[in-house]
Amino acid sequence: MAYVTSEAPTRRELSACVQCGLCLPHCPTFRLTGRESAGPRGRLMAMSAVLDGVLTVDEAFDDAMSYCLQCRACEAVCPGLVPFGRAMEGARAELDAQRPSTRRSVRKLILGSVLPNRRLIGLATFGASVVQRLRLGRLLPGPIRSPFNGMRSLGGRQSWVGREALPAQDPIGTIGLLAGCVMDSWFGPVHDATIGVLTAAGYRVTVPEQQTCCGALAAHDGHTAVTRELAETNRNAFADVDLVVSDAAGCTAHLKDYDHWVDGGFQAEVRDATELVAELIDTGRLPIVPGERGTVAVQDPCHLRHAQRITTAPRSILSAAGYTPLEIDPDALCCGAAGIYSVLHPDTSQELGARKASQVLGSGAPVVASANPGCEMQLRSHLDGKIAVAHPVELYWRALSESRLDTSSRSGAL
Amino acid sequence: MSLVSDLIAVLGRDRVLDDRLDSWTYGKDAGVFRGEADVVVLPESTEEVAEIVRVAERHSTSIVPRGAGTGLAGGAVPVDRNVIVSMIRMNEITDVDPENRTAWVGPGVVNLDLSRHTEVHGLHFAPDPSSQSACTIGGNVGNNSGGPHCLAEGTTVNHVLAVEVVLAGGEVVTVGGGAPDPIGLDLRGILVGSEGTLGIVTKVLVKLTPNAPDVRTLLCAFDSVEDAARAVSGIIAAGVVPAALELMDQRMTEAVENWLKAGLPTDAAAILLAEVSGGTAAVKAEAAVIREVATSSGASSVSLAADEAERQILWKARKSAFGAVAQTAPDYYLHDTTVPRTRLVEAMTEAYAIGDKYDLVMMNVFHAGDGNLHPLMTFDASQPGSFERVRAAADEIVEMCVSKGGVLSGEHGIGKEKRDLMGLMFDAPALDAQARIKEAFDPGGLFNPHKILPQGSRCFDFGRTVPVPDGAWI
Amino acid sequence: MSLLAPGTTAHHAPGSVDEMAELYRRLDADGTTTVVIGGGNHLGVGNPVLADVSVATEALDAIIDYQPDDLTLTVEAGVTMGAIDELLDPHRQTAALPETEPTATIGGVVAAGISGYRRSRFGPTRDRVLEVTVVTGDGRVVTGGARVVKNVSGYDLPRLATGSFGALGVIVSVCLKLWPEPESRATVRLDDPADADSLYRPLAVLETEEGAWAYLQGPASEVASSASIGIVQSDGFTWPTFDAPGTAEMRVPPALVPDAVQRLNVPFIAQHGVGIVAMATEDPDVLEPARSWCESVGGSLVVTSRSGPVDAAPSIDPWGTPPPAQSLQRRLIAAFDPRRIVNRGRLPGGI
Repeated sequence: MAYVTSEAPTRRELSACVQCGLCLPHCPTFRLTGRESAGPRGRLMAMSAVLDGVLTVDEAFDDAMSYCLQCRACEAVCPGLVPFGRAMEGARAELDAQRPSTRRSVRKLILGSVLPNRRLIGLATFGASVVQRLRLGRLLPGPIRSPFNGMRSLGGRQSWVGREALPAQDPIGTIGLLAGCVMDSWFGPVHDATIGVLTAAGYRVTVPEQQTCCGALAAHDGHTAVTRELAETNRNAFADVDLVVSDAAGCTAHLKDYDHWVDGGFQAEVRDATELVAELIDTGRLPIVPGERGTVAVQDPCHLRHAQRITTAPRSILSAAGYTPLEIDPDALCCGAAGIYSVLHPDTSQELGARKASQVLGSGAPVVASANPGCEMQLRSHLDGKIAVAHPVELYWRALSESRLDTSSRSGAL
Repeated sequence: MSLVSDLIAVLGRDRVLDDRLDSWTYGKDAGVFRGEADVVVLPESTEEVAEIVRVAERHSTSIVPRGAGTGLAGGAVPVDRNVIVSMIRMNEITDVDPENRTAWVGPGVVNLDLSRHTEVHGLHFAPDPSSQSACTIGGNVGNNSGGPHCLAEGTTVNHVLAVEVVLAGGEVVTVGGGAPDPIGLDLRGILVGSEGTLGIVTKVLVKLTPNAPDVRTLLCAFDSVEDAARAVSGIIAAGVVPAALELMDQRMTEAVENWLKAGLPTDAAAILLAEVSGGTAAVKAEAAVIREVATSSGASSVSLAADEAERQILWKARKSAFGAVAQTAPDYYLHDTTVPRTRLVEAMTEAYAIGDKYDLVMMNVFHAGDGNLHPLMTFDASQPGSFERVRAAADEIVEMCVSKGGVLSGEHGIGKEKRDLMGLMFDAPALDAQARIKEAFDPGGLFNPHKILPQGSRCFDFGRTVPVPDGAWI
Repeated sequence: MSLLAPGTTAHHAPGSVDEMAELYRRLDADGTTTVVIGGGNHLGVGNPVLADVSVATEALDAIIDYQPDDLTLTVEAGVTMGAIDELLDPHRQTAALPETEPTATIGGVVAAGISGYRRSRFGPTRDRVLEVTVVTGDGRVVTGGARVVKNVSGYDLPRLATGSFGALGVIVSVCLKLWPEPESRATVRLDDPADADSLYRPLAVLETEEGAWAYLQGPASEVASSASIGIVQSDGFTWPTFDAPGTAEMRVPPALVPDAVQRLNVPFIAQHGVGIVAMATEDPDVLEPARSWCESVGGSLVVTSRSGPVDAAPSIDPWGTPPPAQSLQRRLIAAFDPRRIVNRGRLPGGI
C-alpha cells in the first residue's frame, strides 16, 4: 500500500536527497553488504518510490527499512542536510501501521509498556542478577545472550528516581537527570558519577519522580502514539528544572528531539552529560585533574556523534581526567548495538560488534570509554573481559575522587 | 533455465537481487537520469564476473557495470532492462608495493580508502574526485575520473598501470604492467575512460604518488568571477602549475557555508582555492607568486590555511559543494565541459547569460586551473517543463564551449547524458572510428549499450574511397 | 633530402593531410604496402617492415596552433624536436620531449612512444598527447582527443596511437601539452644514485658506467637546497647519449633498476625511478639472458636501434614475448587499416 499515516516520510524530507552518494561509506549496513537498499540513498529512494506510487509498503520495503541501524551517520555527513533519521522514523511508523505482525506487537508491548515500567524492569533486573550470579548466561537464547554478556554486574541500589543531591555551596542551578529505563537499573555507577560531578560543579541534581522512559526505542521502531505519551509525561516531570541532562547518549538525542513529539518540547535546555561536563571543565567550574592515567580508546556512540554532533566533549573530559584519548575509527561506524537491533538482526550486529572490538583492542588502550549504555553492553560483550569499559564521565569522576583523596590525605599529614 | 536462476547458480541467492525495490534503487546514479534494472548481481571474484558475462551472452542480455553510483553522466544507469553488475564487493587491496609505488586493487575499493590504506608508506592515489569518499576505483577507471589535484597529476589514466579485464566471451586478460612502456598497443589506455562499454575491469594496478613534504593552500576572495578567472590564467602564465586551482562562485559558497560553517567569505563574488605542494622552498616561492598574481588581479583578500585541519576543512567545503546545493532546490543539473584556459572568462560570462536566458539559477564551482567548468543549474523536477528547460540550457552551454575549442566532458564522461552531442565535437569519420573500436572489443554489443556513442555512429556504408560531406553529422 | 626506407621502391611525401588521405585511398585500393618514415631515427625499433613503398611525413611540417597561455601546441607530424624547441624557447616553455634527438619528428616520437628523460615529472609522452589525427590505412582522416588539457569525450585515441608504430595509420598531426620552464636548473653529480632518494620527486636521476646524476629544476631556492645532495656540475642540463646505433632497453618495475645495472657490463644509461635501462649492445649473449630476467619480473627488453640495415634479419627478436590479447589487437588494427598496409608486421607478434 501507499503511505497511510500522517507520520510518513514527506516529499520535503525526501527531495533533499540528490543521490550524490557521499553517505554510502558511512553506512555500516551498506559497507557490509554493498546493496543500495541497505544504504541511505537506496532507502530514501525506496521511500520516495512509495510516495510516487512506484513501490508499495511490502515485505521488501519492510526488509530494507528494518535493516537500518538508525545510527544516523549518513545524516552527519550529508551536505544536503537530508533529515534521514526523521524520514526513517516515518517509514517505521508506516510499517507499524501497515504490517502488523506478532513480532511487531511484542516489540510494541516491550518498548511501549515494559521499558517505561520500573517495576517490570526491576523484576527483569532481579532475574538477570540471579542468572549472573549462577553463571547461567550461556543457557540464554542467542540473540539475548550477547546483550546479557555485556551487562555490568548487577546488585546494589535498584533505582535512582526520586533522589536529590545538593552541592557544598549555594547551587548555581537545578539539573533534572533522566534516570532512563535500563540505565537506571543497570548502570547505577554512571548515575553516581554524573551526580557526583555535577554537584561538584555546583549544581543541585534531582531525578524527578514522575519521569519515565525517554521513548527513543519506541520512536525508532515506529510506535508513534506511545512515543508521544512518554514525551508528554517527561515534559511534565521535568517542568521545574533549569537543565535536563541525560548520561545515556541515545536518550539525550531523543530528548533533544522532543519538540517534534510534543508541542513546545521541554521548557529547559537538554544536554548530554558529556557535553555539559566538558563545558564545565572549559569554563573552569570543574578542574583539570592532575596526574597521568594512561591511554583510553574513545568509542563514539552514534547518537552522540552523528545525531548530536558531539565529538570533542568526551575527548576533552578524558584529557581533563589525565587520560590520553586514542582514536579507533575515522568513520565512527556503528558498533552494532543500535537499541533493539542487536536482538532483531543478531548476525549484522555481531559482525559490527566484532569489528568495533578489534578496533578497540588494536589501540592497545587498557580501557575504552563509551557514553551510551547500548554501546557499552555491545563492547563489553565483544571484548569478552579483555579490557574495561566505562562512561567518560565515570572515568573523570573516579580521577577526581582519587585526587581529592590524595589531597585530603596529604593535607592530613601536614 | 531463466536468466535469474542461471545467475543464482553462479552467485547464490543472496548476491542476485531481482526484487522490484532493488531494480528501482539501482536505476540511478548521482545524475538526473533514471532507468530500471532487470536484475542486479554482486560478484566477488573475477571468475564470477567472467561467468556472469557468459550467462548474459547466453540470454542475450546486456550488462551495465556499476561502482558506487556517484557518476553524473548516467554511465551506470540501465537503459534496456540490463543486468547491473555491482563491483562494490570486489574491494580488496592486495600487493601494496611501496618500493615500486604500486598496488593491485579491486574495482570496488573506495578511492579515499586506498589513500588511507597506503598512508603508512607516505603514498596516496592522486586522482581525487569530489566524490572520493564514496566513489570506487573501478568507477574512476571507467570514467577516467579527475578531481582538483589532476591539474598537476593528471587524471586516472595517468595513475593506472595495468588492468585485468573480462572481455566479451568471458575472456580474462591483463593489459599493461608495472614496468614502463609495455609493448604492443595500449589497450589499458583505451579501457580507462571507456565507461564499461568495452569490458569489465576486475582488478587495477594503480600507481601511487608520494605525499608531498609540504603543502600550502591559499584562499583568495574576489569581487567578480571574471577577476578570479583572470587570476587563474595569470598564475599559469607566471610559470606556476599549482597542485590545484579551484573556483567557487558566491551562491555556491553560501550553500556550502550554510552546512559546513567553514568560515568561507560569503560576501565575495568568487573564491579561488589554490594549492601548491612539493619541497618547502618551492612551495614557499610558488605561494608567494600566487599571492602576488591574485592581489594584482584584484583579490580583496588572500589567506593561507594555517594548519592541516584548516586545509582539510577548505577541501571539505570544495568537495561537498554539489551535495550542499540540495538545500537550495529539490534537483540540480551539473554540467562538465572543458574550454581552453584562456577562454575561461568568456565561457563563464556566456554560461551565466544562458542561465539568465532560460530563467535558471546557475552556480559554479570548478577546476579553473585546467579550464574544466562545472556550471550547475538548480530546478524542481516536479514543475512541468523544468527539466526540459534545464536540458536545453545545458545543451546550449555545451555548444558554446565546443565552439570555443572546448570539449563535451572534462572528467564526468559521456555516458547517456551527452551521447547525442558527440557530433558537436567529432566528425563522421571520427565517430565511425570510435564505433569501430567498440566493435573490435564488443562485437555483440554486450557491454553498457547506448552509452558514449550516438545511435548510428558506425557508418557501415561509409565508402572507403568516398569522402563524407562536411557537417554530415552535425 | 628524402629518406627512402631500405627495400622500398618508391617514395611519397605528401604535403598536406588531404594529399596523405588521397594517397592512402589509392594505396589501399591497390593493396600496396607501405613503411612510414619521419626523421628516420626509430626505424630500427620493432620487427623489420618489408614494404613496397615509403611514405614520409617530412613535408607535413606546419606549426598549426601554438597557444602559450593555454600551454598547448598543435603541429604536423613532420615537425622536428629541434624545431619545437626553437619555437618554445623564447616563451620559456617546453614539451619535455626526447632531449637528445633534434632531428626526430614528433610523428615518429609519438608513433614509437619515446619519452625522453624528464618523464618522472611530466609523465611519458603518452600522457601528453592531447589530440591526434591519423590517416588510416584506407585513407580516412580520423581525429581523437581535443586541444584542451582535460578531456574524457569518447575513446582515448591519442593514447592508443602513441606507441602504435603506424598500426592505426599515419599520424599526421598532434596537439601536445606544454610546461613552463623553471626559474632554475642544475645537474648534480652524485656518489650514489640512492643519494637522490631523499629528494621529493627529482626531475630525473640517471646513472651510467661513469657515475650518477640528479637533474633538478624549480624555483632557485628549491634547486639550491636540493643540490646539496651532491656536487653541482652545471646550472643547465647535460644529458647522456650513446655514440652509435646498436642499442636496447630493459624495462622493469622502477625499484629493480639497481638490480638491472648490477647485471650489466656494457655501456648503459639507467633511469632511476622510471625503470628503463638503455644499453649499448646488440650482443644476443648479453640481451637474451637480460630479456629472460626482465620478462620474469613483468617487464620487457626491446631493441631500440640497430647498427646494420633495418630490413636485415635482426640478431634477436626485437620485442620478445608478445603481450596478451593478440586477436583483440588484430581486430583493433583492422578497424583502422583493414588491408594492413601501414608498417605491416612491425608490432610484437608480427602484427
